[in-house]
Amino acid sequence: MAERTADGPMDAGRFAALADAYGSALHRWPPGEQAAAILFADTKEGRAILARAGRLDAILDRHRVEIPSPALHRMIVARAATEIRQERRRRFWWLGFGLAGAGLAGAVAGLALVTVVSPDIQPDHYVMDANATSFGDAGPDADQTEEDL
Amino acid sequence: MGADPDEELVRRIGAGDPAAVQAMVARKLPRILALAARMLGDPAEAEDVAQETFVRIWRHASGWRRGHARFDTWIHRVALNLCYDRLRRRREWTTDELPEVADETPLPDALPGDDERRVNQALQRIAPRQREAIVLVYYQELSNIEAAGAMQVSVDALESLLARGRRALQAMLVGDDGDD
Repeated sequence: MAERTADGPMDAGRFAALADAYGSALHRWPPGEQAAAILFADTKEGRAILARAGRLDAILDRHRVEIPSPALHRMIVARAATEIRQERRRRFWWLGFGLAGAGLAGAVAGLALVTVVSPDIQPDHYVMDANATSFGDAGPDADQTEEDL
Repeated sequence: MGADPDEELVRRIGAGDPAAVQAMVARKLPRILALAARMLGDPAEAEDVAQETFVRIWRHASGWRRGHARFDTWIHRVALNLCYDRLRRRREWTTDELPEVADETPLPDALPGDDERRVNQALQRIAPRQREAIVLVYYQELSNIEAAGAMQVSVDALESLLARGRRALQAMLVGDDGDD
């Protein structure tokens, strides 16, 4: 959310636009433009613009709302204990479920990893049978294969 | 963005501190009630909104983390959403869009002691988004950045809503365009 900042003296157009939006009280105006606005407010044009906005402000200020009743205050406070306790319990259970879920997911993932990554069990050494030589299998099938080639 | 003056209180509420609950109600209830009363124009409904807003505060206190908004801005957003729910229900809108056009017919001249009722009527007759902008900036005294954040609009859009709302109020309450 960008805050506009006045780079130099404020002109009447911008001053009037701000008064149209924020009214005659400069403390409600954008902080970045207040310094320039205060200077312009001291001009004849500035005073006229603020006076015009001030007429509506004076009427708006007549609108007052009732202060909260003690009964409303009590009702809200009374509800707090129950709601906070329930919410903490809910969060506790969700945390428990989360940890259990994470544990379960970890176990499943670990099992899957072991299954996928681990190579097939190989014998520690290759036992050469009677037909095998150091150049390959010299059994009857091997002969057949060489003939086929 | 500076430190959030409510952050420590919210943390204590989340930890179940009854004194913090009392302090939070004392600090925020008048603001929330005033916001809802001016948005809805009905004191009874405003009390309901205030109660519902605090229920949400209690529920979120233990998990509340400051994001981009201060806590005060967040509860304004919560209360405003509750107000809009009621405005939609009350007027039985057929769409989710609330009207942007204000009825700017001048209100009758005030009888002595009648100003407050006239202002209330005028506020209820302007478009809800314009009313929201004026209530947040003028009555609740949120900064333009905070109000724009609560309304989820840009600062320029906020200023446009404020200016249009004030022009409509001017026409109804002052009865002219405000020129000398």
